[in-house]
Amino acid sequence: MYDERVRRIRRWIDAVLRGSASALELLADLVSGSEDVELHTVVTFRAVVDAVVPETPELDPELGPDHVPGGLGVDLEEFVVTYVDDGFQLGLPYLGPRGNVPLADPIAQLLDVAALALLDRGGNTGELDDDRPVSLLDPGEASPREVRAAAGAFSKLSRRDRLRAVGLLDELELEISQFDGELFEFDGGLVGQLVVGFTEMIYYSEWQGYDEFTQPPSERVHPNDPAAVQSWRQTGYPGFSPGYAALRGYLGSDDGPLGDGDAWTTVDEESSVRILREPGSFRENDYDTSDYAEPFPE
Amino acid sequence: MVGNDYDVVVVGAGGDGPVAAWKLAEAGLSVLVLEAGPFYGNEQWPAPSERPGGEASSSVADLSGELLDEQFTTREFEMVNKLLFGPADHERGFWFRKFPGDGAILQCAGVGGTTLHYTGCHPRAYPASMDEQGHWPIAYAELLPYYREIEEMCEVTPAPVTAKEELFFRGAAAAGWPLLHDLNVTTSGYRPQPNAIRRPDPKLHVDAGYDGPVTYPEVRGDTLSLGNIAGNPHPRGAPYEEKAKRSSNVSFVPAALETGNVTIRPNAFVTDVRTETALGDAPTATGVDFRDTWSGRTERVDAEVVVLAAGAIETPRLWKNADLPDNEWVGRGLTIHFGDNVMGLWREADLDERLGKGTIDQHEGQDIAARFDYPGLGMLQTVGTTPGVGAILGFGASASGFTFQNDPADAPWDTMGRLAGPELKRLLADYRRMLQMLVVSDDRPHRRNGVTVTPGLADEHGPIPVVNYEPSEGDRKRRDELATIAAEILREAGAAHVHRSDSPPTALHVHSTMRMGYVLDEACEAYDVDRLFVADHSALSNGVGGANPTNTGQALAARTAERILDRHF
Ligand SMILES: Cc1cc2nc3c(=O)[nH]c(=O)nc-3n(C[C@H](O)[C@H](O)[C@H](O)COP(=O)(O)OP(=O)(O)OC[C@H]3O[C@@H](n4cnc5c(N)ncnc54)[C@H](O)[C@@H]3O)c2cc1C
Repeated sequence: MYDERVRRIRRWIDAVLRGSASALELLADLVSGSEDVELHTVVTFRAVVDAVVPETPELDPELGPDHVPGGLGVDLEEFVVTYVDDGFQLGLPYLGPRGNVPLADPIAQLLDVAALALLDRGGNTGELDDDRPVSLLDPGEASPREVRAAAGAFSKLSRRDRLRAVGLLDELELEISQFDGELFEFDGGLVGQLVVGFTEMIYYSEWQGYDEFTQPPSERVHPNDPAAVQSWRQTGYPGFSPGYAALRGYLGSDDGPLGDGDAWTTVDEESSVRILREPGSFRENDYDTSDYAEPFPE
Repeated sequence: MVGNDYDVVVVGAGGDGPVAAWKLAEAGLSVLVLEAGPFYGNEQWPAPSERPGGEASSSVADLSGELLDEQFTTREFEMVNKLLFGPADHERGFWFRKFPGDGAILQCAGVGGTTLHYTGCHPRAYPASMDEQGHWPIAYAELLPYYREIEEMCEVTPAPVTAKEELFFRGAAAAGWPLLHDLNVTTSGYRPQPNAIRRPDPKLHVDAGYDGPVTYPEVRGDTLSLGNIAGNPHPRGAPYEEKAKRSSNVSFVPAALETGNVTIRPNAFVTDVRTETALGDAPTATGVDFRDTWSGRTERVDAEVVVLAAGAIETPRLWKNADLPDNEWVGRGLTIHFGDNVMGLWREADLDERLGKGTIDQHEGQDIAARFDYPGLGMLQTVGTTPGVGAILGFGASASGFTFQNDPADAPWDTMGRLAGPELKRLLADYRRMLQMLVVSDDRPHRRNGVTVTPGLADEHGPIPVVNYEPSEGDRKRRDELATIAAEILREAGAAHVHRSDSPPTALHVHSTMRMGYVLDEACEAYDVDRLFVADHSALSNGVGGANPTNTGQALAARTAERILDRHF
């Protein structure tokens, strides 16, 4: 199983490199140098989460201590890895469990490719730092030597340079030959979606409140309480509610059919637009498009 | 039991398919609806994401509000995962589509289709988009009786005002735009959304001092809690048909089942359209093959007429995979309302002055309840989102990199781009003082944009759809103009900071890939295949001017059903 995984990733990367700039080909050895795929993926996804929703001590004076912890504080990277591994399927029975395509390892490798491309272009503002990946793990989780050996270029970049590297992927249309005899095109932009968009969505959603999200839906429990969801405390989102007494009324004006009755408040003194207590309805008007002018003809 | 011979088989129980099924069944035809996704809120499938359950549903008595309450938790992450286009089995991932660029396509699987996600906005097309743009073979006036019929079924009314709408209306009025009162919109201005959501209970007025339970039967109609994208089962405790949001599973599916002539079979993915060709003739549709997504077994059903309603991506995919005659427009001319997000952030004191409270609270009220129309450009709408969905739709993607890579100097916005890191956390710390506007532009059909399939890229249902979308110069200008207007309105409403996402193409509204007048005739029957009709948004000849498309898609489906009866029964 382990061999199969490495073999697959190697082939994936080979194909990526064939499709990318020639200077990058020289770096192929560097990228696939790591044998500890699992640790490499863990470190890389921690580096992602650390860049997208970082710990932010700088927000403490401005917004308070609730705003300091980030995604790593709630083990977000573990779930992101599970999610990208389980989330997409091509419906082919031989592709992993239930036909889902495990994407986390190859994505981690692709992020290194992107990091190297950034360095190659001189687009980085900071230097590679071997200690960064080490600092992303808790003390005792793995020896610094192992971490340095497993970590790729992506996790050695500064936070902002990591984001810049992700940005480069948006430009890449990759063509990847993943399985014998089958062409599987993969699009770099999807990586950005998964590592930035989905990481943000998961972090700011209710996700942290579940005991275990991977349980069957009917068995999932959620306390629906900001005490259980760090991001809710940071956004002020109060949790899901069956409803709110938030009705202010209906829009209307003196001469229109949209509303009726007492005015609650006036929107615009001059045009007599008000928010009224009683609802009205739209007018079924005659229409005439004869004086229509196309704003931007093509 | 599902028989193997029907008058009509409808492929897809999304926004439009159930409308056609209802009209045809009312006229006495036997109709089978095959739907790729699950059937939520139905006694036949008590755990639709976990077990295969029953085979089909033909009775309105199967519908259960209680089950819907249980299955539609309104927890945003869970619900988006549940509803997005993929198989019922929760252990399996989404069905893959390739969409070059870093945008995304949002469609749902399940009875109700993408209206399970939709926010209930039900305006009509801009008349000029049909009568002046030259894409449509029929006039706007032709659709009017059908609009009225659909609006009545969906209980469309002007949406209620909560704090976020009030703020927007003040901004739009201060920016000098007029209030529009009309259903047929020919000039620009702002108005409440015509929403297919029942009115909120009057008890829920901020002045009424109500502090009882906000559940049925104490409260009826809408409960002003955000949650449409998460399926919206409110009011909790209400019977299935009394749910406030009139998504097609609530508005048309009960009416269709009520006729006694409709069978709905979920978890049934149609993979082939069968035809017969008499010598020298065009092929005639005779039925379909479908695959049970739980068992993997393929079955066949015959019908006098086949109606494709699988949505604007899957209908052309099915056509191509079924090897039906190609013409140069099958799958082409895709419009997605090339969109963007512009948001405002307010200081507490400024809100206090305008709203009488220091927060906007976008999680209160209907998701989208106020709009700005500009025929020829498109529309703007206020959007309340829960924080996770807001983050991925509004901040998680941009065509112009991260905010720290852009200097918008003289632009009408203070920041532009994708947000991550401390900038993201700072912005979202203001979640309750933020108002997002969705820019929805009137992009035009271009032949390069659309759906193709490549033999090597297949899943269990055949080659997957590969979607291409590249807006034109004009499409970009229309979007920029709308984004500028949005920024002006937000400033007039007192926003202290305005942010523009410059979103990559993201498809919430997907249409015009099997266009009437190009692939379909004026009855929406295929030019090249007899007895094969299309009744979903792919049949629209363009993007209806940028107005939310479902009212028009449904009105057209109702009209198509009448044409089917005229021609073949
Ligand atoms: C977040 C969000 C909010 C929205 N809000 C609004 C709004 O407020 N107003 C508005 O007008 N529009 C809105 N829309 C868009 C609207 O929901 C869609 O335009 C509408 O549902 C399209 O209807 P349709 O019938 O063309 O396709 P769909 O509703 O997508 O239905 C297609 C159905 O066919 C099924 N299917 C697909 N392939 C097959 C197959 N091969 N065999 C069997 N079944 C198949 C699918 O599972 C699906 O159920 C929104 C969309 C999103 C994503």
